[in-house]
Amino acid sequence: MAEVILRNLTKRWGDVVGVDDQSLHIRDREFLVLLGPSGCGKTTTMRMIAGLEEPTSGEVWIGDRMVNQDLPKDRDVAMVFQNYGLYPHMSIFDNIAYPLRVRHVTKDEIRPRVEDAARKVELVEFLDRRPRALSGGQRQRVALARAIVRTPKVFLMDEPLSNLDAKLRVLMRAELKHLSHELMTTTVYVTHDQVEAMTLADRVAVMKDGIIQQLGTPDDIYNDPANMFVAGFIGSPAMNLIKGSIKDGDFVTAGGRRLTPTGGKENHSVVLGVRADDIRISDPGEGRLDVTIYAFENTGDSTFLTVQWGTQRIIARGGRHLRKEQGDVVSITMDPDHLYLFDPGSGSRIRN
Amino acid sequence: MGRAWVRPPRVRDNILKYLLVAPAVVVVAVTAIWPLIEAARLSFTVGRLNRPGSLEQYLGWENYVWAVMEEPAFWNSVWVTAAYTFLTVALTTILALALALLLAPGGRLRSGVQTLLILPFAMSPALIGVSFRFMFNPEFGLFDAFFGALIPPLANVSWLADPILAFAVCIMADVWGWIPFLTLVLIGGLISVPRETLEAAQIDGANGWRVFRDVTLPQLAPVLAVVVILKSIFSLKTFDQIFMLTNGGPGTATQTLSHYIYFNGMKYGQIGFAASVAWLMVIPMIFLTYAYAKLVFRKDQAQ
Ligand SMILES: Nc1ncnc2c1ncn2[C@@H]1O[C@H](COP(=O)(O)OP(=O)(O)O)[C@@H](O)[C@H]1O
Ligand SMILES: [Mg+2]
Repeated sequence: MAEVILRNLTKRWGDVVGVDDQSLHIRDREFLVLLGPSGCGKTTTMRMIAGLEEPTSGEVWIGDRMVNQDLPKDRDVAMVFQNYGLYPHMSIFDNIAYPLRVRHVTKDEIRPRVEDAARKVELVEFLDRRPRALSGGQRQRVALARAIVRTPKVFLMDEPLSNLDAKLRVLMRAELKHLSHELMTTTVYVTHDQVEAMTLADRVAVMKDGIIQQLGTPDDIYNDPANMFVAGFIGSPAMNLIKGSIKDGDFVTAGGRRLTPTGGKENHSVVLGVRADDIRISDPGEGRLDVTIYAFENTGDSTFLTVQWGTQRIIARGGRHLRKEQGDVVSITMDPDHLYLFDPGSGSRIRN
Repeated sequence: MGRAWVRPPRVRDNILKYLLVAPAVVVVAVTAIWPLIEAARLSFTVGRLNRPGSLEQYLGWENYVWAVMEEPAFWNSVWVTAAYTFLTVALTTILALALALLLAPGGRLRSGVQTLLILPFAMSPALIGVSFRFMFNPEFGLFDAFFGALIPPLANVSWLADPILAFAVCIMADVWGWIPFLTLVLIGGLISVPRETLEAAQIDGANGWRVFRDVTLPQLAPVLAVVVILKSIFSLKTFDQIFMLTNGGPGTATQTLSHYIYFNGMKYGQIGFAASVAWLMVIPMIFLTYAYAKLVFRKDQAQ
């Protein structure tokens, strides 16, 4: 158990920048999620913590030790790889036992510990099999068992659920959450799936192009995004981003429609962010703006309306029992307490 | 004519597929199967090139019995071949594996030299034989001078005149010629070992040696087995190199079975006897080839 500190960490391959001068303080026992689109440097960051990749510059600290010069085997971390990295020629038992064997744990101690780890991930009946005789979800659990069979200072997990089908992913997500509460070990978890990040994390670091855009609790990044990228990346469906300006405390669309009061200074060029959830739908004439339905989607537990006025389209969430047709006219009203303004050039948040 | 081709050749499809493989079958039959059968027939005859009619004069198993029971020279070449095969297989495999580990992606010597590596393999064995013969020439040989400077007692020996040293030179030439190809094969094998398994082992706490022993080697085993079997087959058949380098000498110190067969058949004209020895040599070959085919053509059970 230990904190992990990254100081001005940079990784470059020639002109390619993987991670760009990033600092991050991961607290003891914290579950930190690195979230970002593919290619943003999440894996690279994690591999530098593990010692599989050498930083171009900067420092990695685990506990109170600077580990830049330490080999992976001496860093006392455990890692779950995206493709699991199981040893295909070993039984499941031997796979899980391997970290103990190389650390010279005695035979009498290995068996109970392997069985204990296997029980935690519900694999006990598969211990004699080879990895190739297991399904994806089972292999994933072997990788997990191999990580938890000892008590490392830090767990590192690189998109451990991304190779599972959707149903299994939801199931394993809950198991991971349960397990992480039980183990209370510092964990760095990499994913591009914002739902995983929201549900698992104590804190989330949202990354883009090798740079951490925002570090905060799931609540923070969902309700108080630091910039347009975070706002657009978090949430499903993505936050609506509408170009326009501020006149007399109202947001005016590029087409000249007064959409909603926002307050704030006069500004000829802003981007308004509003989540589908924060748009109320009512009968024509009853709301702020009458719009046409471009598409109506019913997911069973709620409905999504893509609505259009002029060339502008946004998505709003309707009630579970709302039924509309394409081409119908409805009226929308935005919740003034949950609107975000961004600078279209830099993408940074404009706070009043 | 045109019409016949336009019509969908439904029935002819069946015949066509045999027609297409026929040339290959004919070539194999004429160049491999027929000689094998003819050699088998000859091995039961008196079979002397200088005695007309002796190629049809049948002796039963006498040639075989003679080789096994009465010929110390036959057994000498069996031992020479066995020692030669064992040493060349062991040395090439170990050295090629070491080189492959250094040259594979992530290895320490990774650079553009892999293409250069293949060069020795591009040389014909006979050429290797000739060049090694020159290099160990007592008067102007490069290696001769080199080893003489390195190990003074070896300064004045005539390498190819000493039975043990001549054998050692043959081994060296063979190993030198084969390392490149086997290195490339093993590099290919190393590349196919998933990187995540190697990294997982490092994180699990294994040092370099244990990663190699516990994770790399077991996953490389199938390729390694192919390498060993393939090299064994080639070592057992070694002829051209020996022929050019020592011609089996001094005495019969480096006479391999192939060389022994050639000598008896071509030089002494004892075709029947030579054929029987050749067939004795087929026995270990069949086992090796069978093992090789089993490894290479086995149904892929992985994944
Ligand atoms: N070994 C490498 N050589 C060159 N570029 C690399 C290497 N590894 C990663 N990159 C680049 O670094 C960037 C970040 O990669 P990565 O950390 O794997 O992203 P992520 O895990 O967030 O998808 C990508 O642009 C990728 O192409
Ligand atoms: Mg990645």
